[in-house]
Amino acid sequence: MSAHVVYLEQLPSLFEKWKEKFKLFVPQKKGDYYLLQEYERGQEICFDYDVIYNPIKSFLFPSYETLLDFDLKTYASKPVVDAEPQILFGIHPYDIKAINQLDQLMEMGSVDVNYRARRDKTVIMGLEPLRVAKTAFWSFMDAEKVDFGFDLFWTKIGPSAFVVEVGSVLGEELLFVNGKVDVATAAEKEVARRKHQEIVKKAKMQNVLKFPNTDIPKVMAKSFNSYVWIEKSRKCLSCGSCNFICPTCYCFDIQDEVDDLLKKGKRYRTWDGCMLRSFASIAGGHNFRKQVFERYRHRYMRKGRYIYDLLGELGCVGCGRCIQSCPARIANPLEIFNFLWEDVSYEK
Amino acid sequence: MKNKFSPYVPRLATLKSKKKLSDYVTLFRFEQDNGRPLAHSPGQFIQVSIFGIGEAPFSITSPPIREHHYFEIAVRKIGSVTTALHNLKPGDKIGVRGPYGSSFPMQKFIGKDMLFIAGGLGFIPLRSVLNYMIRHRDEYGKIMLLVGTRNPKERIFIDQLEEMSKREDIKVLETVDVPDETWKGNVGVITTLLPKITIEPENTYVAMVGPPIMYKFVIAECKKMGISEDKIFVSLERRMKCGLGKCGHCQINGLSCCVDGPVFCYTDIASLEEAI
Repeated sequence: MSAHVVYLEQLPSLFEKWKEKFKLFVPQKKGDYYLLQEYERGQEICFDYDVIYNPIKSFLFPSYETLLDFDLKTYASKPVVDAEPQILFGIHPYDIKAINQLDQLMEMGSVDVNYRARRDKTVIMGLEPLRVAKTAFWSFMDAEKVDFGFDLFWTKIGPSAFVVEVGSVLGEELLFVNGKVDVATAAEKEVARRKHQEIVKKAKMQNVLKFPNTDIPKVMAKSFNSYVWIEKSRKCLSCGSCNFICPTCYCFDIQDEVDDLLKKGKRYRTWDGCMLRSFASIAGGHNFRKQVFERYRHRYMRKGRYIYDLLGELGCVGCGRCIQSCPARIANPLEIFNFLWEDVSYEK
Repeated sequence: MKNKFSPYVPRLATLKSKKKLSDYVTLFRFEQDNGRPLAHSPGQFIQVSIFGIGEAPFSITSPPIREHHYFEIAVRKIGSVTTALHNLKPGDKIGVRGPYGSSFPMQKFIGKDMLFIAGGLGFIPLRSVLNYMIRHRDEYGKIMLLVGTRNPKERIFIDQLEEMSKREDIKVLETVDVPDETWKGNVGVITTLLPKITIEPENTYVAMVGPPIMYKFVIAECKKMGISEDKIFVSLERRMKCGLGKCGHCQINGLSCCVDGPVFCYTDIASLEEAI
């Protein structure tokens, strides 16, 4: 679609206009971390963040979500499908790829109506990264560029100018709320392209995946009985941080809650994680992944192989959040992939 | 957004009767409030809701029969939902979602001999298949039923077992792991029953359900008897929470037990490390 040029001074008035109809979330700096938080007038927006610490899935699939309201007397229940229009501004391509993947997974088989309702009311505005997180390896996971999944995609081409690529009709409408903006010239588009190449080059300099990522599923298939699972998981605390911070993890648990009078209640879902001890346990006490290494292995198998079998793309986008969040410093998909590849190649 | 559809909304069902099967296991008969039959296939499961307590998956133990508008589940009192179920009185309501999952391929079994291997509560889902076959008895060949229980006190569906052992067209063999003074039958794990039956391996299908530990040994014995892998059907237990293939609790490697299973042909899962 078309590309336009927007200047920094036009942004506040655009944001004000969007805020009339949408909740607007923008990247902001909070202490040592960058978070995607609601925009308030005059707030500074962090265009040069490295990675947003709160996973973007929480805006589409919140950590606590009511599914049903029920009445204990009449036993009647009705579904709760809440969704508010929202704009997520400044999302990096790897996070957009994660959302695209969630879209597919939630749509497979039985459609997840709660996710779908939120997703339908969400506008996604991508942003070309200006910095690369220390732990990121997205440039090796086919996640440095997305062709779909955004309504607008912003690239900062200078101190005060952006090239904005339009990804949907709604995106174009939002861009033109204050009147039409200039179409980007060939030169400006070229600058945007170079900015992209620059950042990808920078990202490729660090955290190198030593083999093509298309080989990851094959490597994983051969590594089910590798000793690396036991060795790495020795330090695992089974805390589930890597699950909750991961943009592509979506497992959940369903529970009930009743009010003080025991009259009404609700059924809600919360995030759950395959690294937690009771995740695969059943009535009677049998646990299908009792050992830490089994749970640790399952998580990496899911990222590197099982999701690939379902969708044809890897379940890891290389954002590096899990590497940052793991208290035991053992959650590192890149390290695991590289190690297993060397291990598998050596066996030949 | 009020009247939006959600797959998490259960239909209501009313408890019609309860029957004690053993110290901890009870048979519940429910009827759906919408007056329709459950329309399940043998081997499928449902999600039973007790509002305020939670939701849990149970195998349906009654066969699908057009005239029967009720369905039955047999439940061991072991957790919060199952305890709440045991506290229900006839006339009380529950919520039902489902039936979910795959079922035993009844069409494939037509004209063949059937070997049922039930370990403990594994008899509950198999009873659905068995009763279906008994109802359509002339369509199927020999029926053999092997039942293994931990001890004589935990035997379930005793009346039906006795009734069936009197019939000439069904062979029933029982064993217990730990006998007591009243027990006069076989003693030992379920694999000790297999040498006691004679089968035609090319013409026999196996359906087995039991505790996780059972499958590995019984499948090995079946293969020794000459039954090929594609004739062995198992139903696996996992922690099904949503029943829709989303929540991830029931994953067996890359499969979701709630939509790809619980009934699997052994050839489909033989290569999965986490399955058996």
